[in-house]
Amino acid sequence: MKEVIVSMKNIVKTFPGVKALDNVHFELRSGEVMALLGENGAGKSTLMKILSGVYTKDGGTMTIFGKEYDNLTPKQAQEVGVAIIHQELNMCRHLSVAENMFLGRERVGGVMLKNAEMEAEAAAILNDLKIDINPRQIVGDLPVSRQQMVEIAKALSIHAKVLIMDEPTSALTAKEIDELFRIIRKLKEDGCGIVYISHRLDELKAIVDRVTIMRDGQYITDGDFESMTMDQIIANMVGREIKEQFPRVECEKGKKIFEVRNLNAGRQVRDISFSLYEGEIVGFAGLMGAGRTETTRAIFGVDPKTGGQIFLDGKEVRISCPMDAIKAGIVLAPEDRKKDGLCTKLSIRHNLALPNLDLICDGLGVIRNSREDKLCEDAVKNLMIKTPNVEINAANLSGGNQQKVVVGKWLARNSRVVIFDEPTRGIDVGAKVEIYNLMNKLKQEGIAVMFVSSELPEVLGIADRVIVMCDGRITGEVMAREATQNEVLKYATEFEKKQVS
Amino acid sequence: MNENKQSAVKRFLSARGMGAVVTAFAGLVVIYIAFGLIDRNVFSGQNVMNLLRSMSKYLLIGVGQSYLLITGNIDLSIGSMVGMSAMISATLMTMGISPAVAMLAALACCLCCGVVNGVLVGKFKLPPFIATLGTMFVTRGAAYMVNNNRNTDAIATGIGKEAGDSFQNFFYYGKTLGIFNTFWIALILFLIFFFLLSRTRTGRHIYAIGSNVDAAKLSGVNVVATTIKAYLVSAVCACVVGLILCAQAGMGNMEAGNMYEMYGVAAGVIGGISPLGGTGLLLGTFAGAAVWQTLENGLNMIGAQVGIQRLVIGIIVVFSVLLDVVVRSGNFGKKSS
Repeated sequence: MKEVIVSMKNIVKTFPGVKALDNVHFELRSGEVMALLGENGAGKSTLMKILSGVYTKDGGTMTIFGKEYDNLTPKQAQEVGVAIIHQELNMCRHLSVAENMFLGRERVGGVMLKNAEMEAEAAAILNDLKIDINPRQIVGDLPVSRQQMVEIAKALSIHAKVLIMDEPTSALTAKEIDELFRIIRKLKEDGCGIVYISHRLDELKAIVDRVTIMRDGQYITDGDFESMTMDQIIANMVGREIKEQFPRVECEKGKKIFEVRNLNAGRQVRDISFSLYEGEIVGFAGLMGAGRTETTRAIFGVDPKTGGQIFLDGKEVRISCPMDAIKAGIVLAPEDRKKDGLCTKLSIRHNLALPNLDLICDGLGVIRNSREDKLCEDAVKNLMIKTPNVEINAANLSGGNQQKVVVGKWLARNSRVVIFDEPTRGIDVGAKVEIYNLMNKLKQEGIAVMFVSSELPEVLGIADRVIVMCDGRITGEVMAREATQNEVLKYATEFEKKQVS
Repeated sequence: MNENKQSAVKRFLSARGMGAVVTAFAGLVVIYIAFGLIDRNVFSGQNVMNLLRSMSKYLLIGVGQSYLLITGNIDLSIGSMVGMSAMISATLMTMGISPAVAMLAALACCLCCGVVNGVLVGKFKLPPFIATLGTMFVTRGAAYMVNNNRNTDAIATGIGKEAGDSFQNFFYYGKTLGIFNTFWIALILFLIFFFLLSRTRTGRHIYAIGSNVDAAKLSGVNVVATTIKAYLVSAVCACVVGLILCAQAGMGNMEAGNMYEMYGVAAGVIGGISPLGGTGLLLGTFAGAAVWQTLENGLNMIGAQVGIQRLVIGIIVVFSVLLDVVVRSGNFGKKSS
């Protein structure tokens, strides 16, 4: 049997007001990929932050490579070989690949940096991983997937033996994921222990050896991945059986609500025309960079349009800024929660109220507390946002609950069209189903729902009609019930014929 | 009813950022009592009145600057606008133009500067430090040019002694209900802007763009208009302070308000307003201005030199931010490596 390199027993961690970890066990062996599973807020990240020295545990024992640590600092953790690759990449975007890899431990000869030496070593490591990146390239110019590879290379350059990956695939396309998995398998062969945190359960079988499941800050179970069924895993994570992963609601397709004609906005949005009807959810599928997000932004008036018309209930509406769209009854729950969706320094209350201030203010623009209380109360109740109260910072919520706030702030309004851009990215199974149910509810209320997602199973499972985009154009449209993933993928890769004969 | 009232008080005290405000007020009490123990005259009624009057200027400047800090911006032109306001109003009054018209003229000029600042930062996305650095020089230049690079004569020479006195009394020397008018003016403006920031739509928008300008925009906030509004608030505050300085001296001084923009930053920061935007309460600015003035007043009373005064204030500014950082990182249980 492979040797145990990390052993955490009876770990306890309390934050003011919450017991984040309660008697948690965790074990990692060399040369294995351990999936750490649980819903958002289950305590996975907290546990890993303790292992990497960011947090100090309040109780329990932690042994790494046979040595017990009580007050592990991040620096110590690095020295013993624990590296963490965060969900949000920690890179200096303006520095080069090599500079990032050697950040904080630059090679110096006298007073001069030994750039050539560092670049050569960076190239060697990248080469070893068979990653084709020039060490001199500026990190900010690389796509997210490649930045992630650089993070991994950086971890290896400090001889990490325990590698923690938090949601590494959430921003990657299928092809990039394959590349990542190839690297993970290689690290496994080299004897690294890898902790793999992901909400995309379907990808686990490609790489995972064992799983540890957590729920509400508690250790639930662990075991060989082979010996568990997916249903068992989900039931353990959620603590209840999820009847349907993709609950679909049948509705009568009604009249046309919303139409976009020949919308153009830069390279990523070319000649887009489509309609949304009452009682249906229209999915937008495609690869990363297909122009789906750009399309939503152009419709919502965030980015300028170069041409095209938008009709709502048969009448043309002019939208040149988000305010126009909101007034017309078109709302957008954007893709990137932290960047575009939330004011993370503000309370949940302020976030929920922000786009609805016209509803809760009196004629003079003075906020009525009672109306605001009501709005927040309704949103928290309807969306089942898990929070002690609405005064806490939005940043302190788990991903799934943050997403509910992003969505919730729009639902107080009588919208006609609701656009969801990747609403389930990085959130857990339970929260995903809640978001699906919410979309179904809107559909039943006769609101047009546009649903952008990169995960094909969910697009095909939830949407009624799927529009596929590639390279800024609409390349196909299928009925979700009859379509297969392959069919959608065929459209999604239908690039314009270049001058290839 | 009683329960309702209690929840209002509770809501007030549990407001985010109230911790820093309470700390600043506690510091204020400690500083005040400490100076009082050294010199009993600090407690005298007359000193308290003087203190309230002299803190008024810092309070107003602090309010103006705090609005910008909360939006994540800064206004370096406040001090110059103070000078411009003083020079324009004084010059017009020496020409015999009525104080009311002179005041309106000063206000109009300051508001124009505010709009320019707001458009440069909000619309053209200039870094606020650079944009307002530019307007700082422009407005100071304007303050010099108003009266041909000279300070003005006494305002009484133009509008007569009676009107001059009443102008000076209104803004500086007169008292209402036993307290100097200056403080009343500052207090009323403070309350208005306090209300605007904490209770209105505009106020929410100001916090929102300071916290996350992208998210605010996607929520339908008009970022340009909100930025302009914030700069208008600082322009109004600067204008009023300029009038107060003009009334105090009875004439226009070209260097009036020099460095005030930085005093405004200090008052806000002592009161817990984050220069990174999105957080802070105007009540903190009140405490900050009071702490500052109490220090200056106390150090004066015990005979400390100007050099010492500046030095102490500098230390207090750094210390209060340091305290905030330490407390906050403690809250999150994060250890510094």
